[in-house]
Amino acid sequence: MTDTGFLAARLRRGNMTLAEKLWQMSWSLVFWLCAIATIGFFMLYSAANASLDPWTTRQAMRFGLGLVMLLTIAMIDIRLIMRYAYPFYAIVLALLVFVEVRGVVGGGAQRWIDLGMINLQPSELIKVALVLALARYFHSLSLEDTGRPVFLIVPLLMVFVPVMLILRQPDLGTSLMVIMGAGVLFFMSGVRLWKFITLIITMLAAIPVAWPMLAEYQKNRVLTFINPERDPLGAGYHILQSKIALGSGGLFGKGFLQGTQSHLNFLPEQQTDFIFTMLAEEMGLVGGVTLIGLYVIVLIYGFAIALRCRHQFGRLVAIGVTTTFFLYVFINVAMVMGLIPVVGVPLPLISYGGTALLTIMICMGLLMSVYVHRDVQIGVRGGYDDG
Amino acid sequence: MKVWPKGNRNIDFVYPGEDIQSAPKARVTLVGETQRAVEIGRARLMVTAGLFTFAFLSISVRLVDLMVLNGALDTGPTYNAANNQPAPTFRSDIVDREGRTIATTLPTANLYANATEIIDATVAAEALISVLPGLDRADLTRRLESNQRFVYLRRHLTPSEQIAVNTLGIPGLYFEESERRIYPYGPLYSHVVGATDPDNRGIAGLELTFDKTLSQRPAALELSLDSGVQNAVRETLQAAMDRFKATGAAGVVMDARTGEILSLVSLPDFDPKDNGRADTDRQFNRATLGLYEMGSTFKLFTAAMALELGVIAMDSVYDARTPLTVARYTIDDYHAEKRWLTVPEILIHSSNIGAAKIALDAGTPAQQNFLHQLGLLSPLDLELPEIASPMFPAVWREINTVTISYGHGIAVTPVHVASAISAMVNGGILNRPTLLRRDIVHDEDRTRVISEATSKQVRSLMRLVVTEGSGKQAEVRGYVVGGKTGSAEKLDSAGEYSETQIRTSFVAAFPMHAPRYVVLVLLDEPKGLKETFNYTTAGWNAAPTVGRIVAEIAPMLGVYPTTKQPMAPELGTLIEASARISEMALAPAGTGFGGDRAAE
Repeated sequence: MTDTGFLAARLRRGNMTLAEKLWQMSWSLVFWLCAIATIGFFMLYSAANASLDPWTTRQAMRFGLGLVMLLTIAMIDIRLIMRYAYPFYAIVLALLVFVEVRGVVGGGAQRWIDLGMINLQPSELIKVALVLALARYFHSLSLEDTGRPVFLIVPLLMVFVPVMLILRQPDLGTSLMVIMGAGVLFFMSGVRLWKFITLIITMLAAIPVAWPMLAEYQKNRVLTFINPERDPLGAGYHILQSKIALGSGGLFGKGFLQGTQSHLNFLPEQQTDFIFTMLAEEMGLVGGVTLIGLYVIVLIYGFAIALRCRHQFGRLVAIGVTTTFFLYVFINVAMVMGLIPVVGVPLPLISYGGTALLTIMICMGLLMSVYVHRDVQIGVRGGYDDG
Repeated sequence: MKVWPKGNRNIDFVYPGEDIQSAPKARVTLVGETQRAVEIGRARLMVTAGLFTFAFLSISVRLVDLMVLNGALDTGPTYNAANNQPAPTFRSDIVDREGRTIATTLPTANLYANATEIIDATVAAEALISVLPGLDRADLTRRLESNQRFVYLRRHLTPSEQIAVNTLGIPGLYFEESERRIYPYGPLYSHVVGATDPDNRGIAGLELTFDKTLSQRPAALELSLDSGVQNAVRETLQAAMDRFKATGAAGVVMDARTGEILSLVSLPDFDPKDNGRADTDRQFNRATLGLYEMGSTFKLFTAAMALELGVIAMDSVYDARTPLTVARYTIDDYHAEKRWLTVPEILIHSSNIGAAKIALDAGTPAQQNFLHQLGLLSPLDLELPEIASPMFPAVWREINTVTISYGHGIAVTPVHVASAISAMVNGGILNRPTLLRRDIVHDEDRTRVISEATSKQVRSLMRLVVTEGSGKQAEVRGYVVGGKTGSAEKLDSAGEYSETQIRTSFVAAFPMHAPRYVVLVLLDEPKGLKETFNYTTAGWNAAPTVGRIVAEIAPMLGVYPTTKQPMAPELGTLIEASARISEMALAPAGTGFGGDRAAE
């Protein structure tokens, strides 16, 4: 067997030089990510009324930083990542508790920690940490064990502790996203179908119980989602204006920098969650579909990498981060189109905002690391050779 | 990504992803448990991918639906999409207590153009100006040539104007349904109703306070105000302002038994249809937002407090022969009598020395507590957004007690005073003031502040001020008016009390034997006249203004004049009694005349 051939012992052991790793990387994926981010820079430029300030420059700097981070993470041995999955999860969970406690002391909901250049939201990072922790857990579990309910207690706890903390912030959107992301991982790792069905039925049954526990603004959002005309100037304002903007875009849009809904400030916060509306208004259906197409390409890469990976951990990580990416895109786009209630989820690589961009770049870094180390053999307990 | 596999694919089993592997294939055959695990893993990966695909498909369908199918109808630019929403119900009316319309909403049409459809802007502008002469030709032409799909030409066309424009038959002109807030009474209710912006949202006054209710509720908002009374008060105040060359005026009429405000006037005022574009002085609501040192009016509160606490009786006497010195301040009387005075005389002659000594007898905590109970230390509790919080000393020293006893060093709004005086005369119940019609006063809106007996004594004192004292010009024959004057020197820009600029007020109630209404008038910087012998004090301007208001509104409010003198003249004896004491120059310690200070 040659040294570079398929399933070469050297590759299985993962003894690759840095140059080899760089060669192994999927540079085309990096290209697609840069393409999406570039669209984002243009939209932020437009949102600031044809000005690089205040958003485009800062976003570009952050993206550059994120790119460096992506490459760095891609170079890290996947087994190292696996080894530190639990400690990483523990640290992020501790941050989440810290924010919760400080928020209580400060007398209000506080979701972030100020790191100077970016405000770190632990609730964003937990999405990554949870994917890693669950992947590690299910990696060391045989399919038989996965079928036993006892073995599901630990991962369920791993999901519900952070979810409860995020719910207390209160941030319904992020907690639902974490639950859905984790659900896909459970599904992928082979948890029996009837358990999912039972859970879904239980959750549906819990709606009447949970409804009174929701905060007033959350109830409003759901009710307004069902009928946006209920409050056209208040909570329904976003959705209505967004739909108007989309409808006014037409096939080819009004042209770059020409969107009236966003430039005349009908759409508040057009640089963050509602940036897709602006894109669709200015670039029309063609622009919107192009962007969605780019996202689909990234998702296909994610699935292909998962499919191509030879170890359960990598496969689950790849699926986990791809799902997270998918949820960002889907929730945001579906929200601005009025398909689901308004929840504060940014459009990945496009919306202005530090932590979300950082999270996405970490996710993509992990995906890349899985790809680079796709042939590495990992033992049940994460060892190098005991597989 | 790697190249997709070519060639023979009849393999039993491959690793997940191996089938898209270009490298030489390793034949590893897995069996049993492991194989099942991998198969499940792969199947589920496909299911997940399928779900994602479905999600993206639904998004795409929706995107096409929103952007092209809706757009294909070419409903035009954004405003049309907005108009697809059900038309909002009209903002509801505001009516006075008799149901007369104070504010209503009329449907109008806004004229706009789709400039891209205009064939010849100059011709179109020419034609439009012929039917709408108010338009500016240059501006209109510029708008019509702007090549924008939506440009307003004029808001709020009348139906006849709309027909006229329609008859012109210019392509590219459209009408948008709109509504306009109408205030039939013009400036009469300016400070009460406030104003709305061009989009019919409240920006001041009750329009702002009840913005949500008005835009949602079909029923009219019923106010406690009475248009007849409001008009009488405003006209009389305006006349007084003109006559005394005052810079401003405020008037309040309150139902003493319910706390309902029947009239609230602040002058100068503005027309609400101007959307609040009037200057700030006109927009300023002197009745609820203006804070004023009310002067001697507060002597009524001082007397009521001391009577209620039993510190004094009506026949207590106080030594007002010499000025009072507290700390480094000297308190003197305006019309110094330089003799011993009974409580009624202190009010009648408006003796600062007497009021100060009464307050010192009652003590600072009692004064604070009493004023607090009357709501004079709390922000005005009224339905308007334009309300003020009283100003009073943070640290309440003896000198503050002294000055506050005659209404200096504390600033409150006219409505504060009207409300507190209502409680003084109505039997001792403080009602929360309101601008809304109130048929029943609920318990949470009323508190007892003084006893029935004290209230009766205060009524006698107020009546005496009008029959014997500085309020003589407020008397209206048959309506038994009682009240109290108040004159305060204004603070000038240097923070010193000005001798020439004063603010006068008169607060009255009628009929005094069974008070129904409280009337308060405040004049800002009235000037002396020949007829008033150049006097500028309240008795010469505010008091006669109140008299005229009472004479006008009493018949409207169904108060019948009486020919009798229902107020017992028993207090007259007190006046004579004190005169005798003064002559005797007694130091009446322990002589049963009361008043500890009197002994000094």
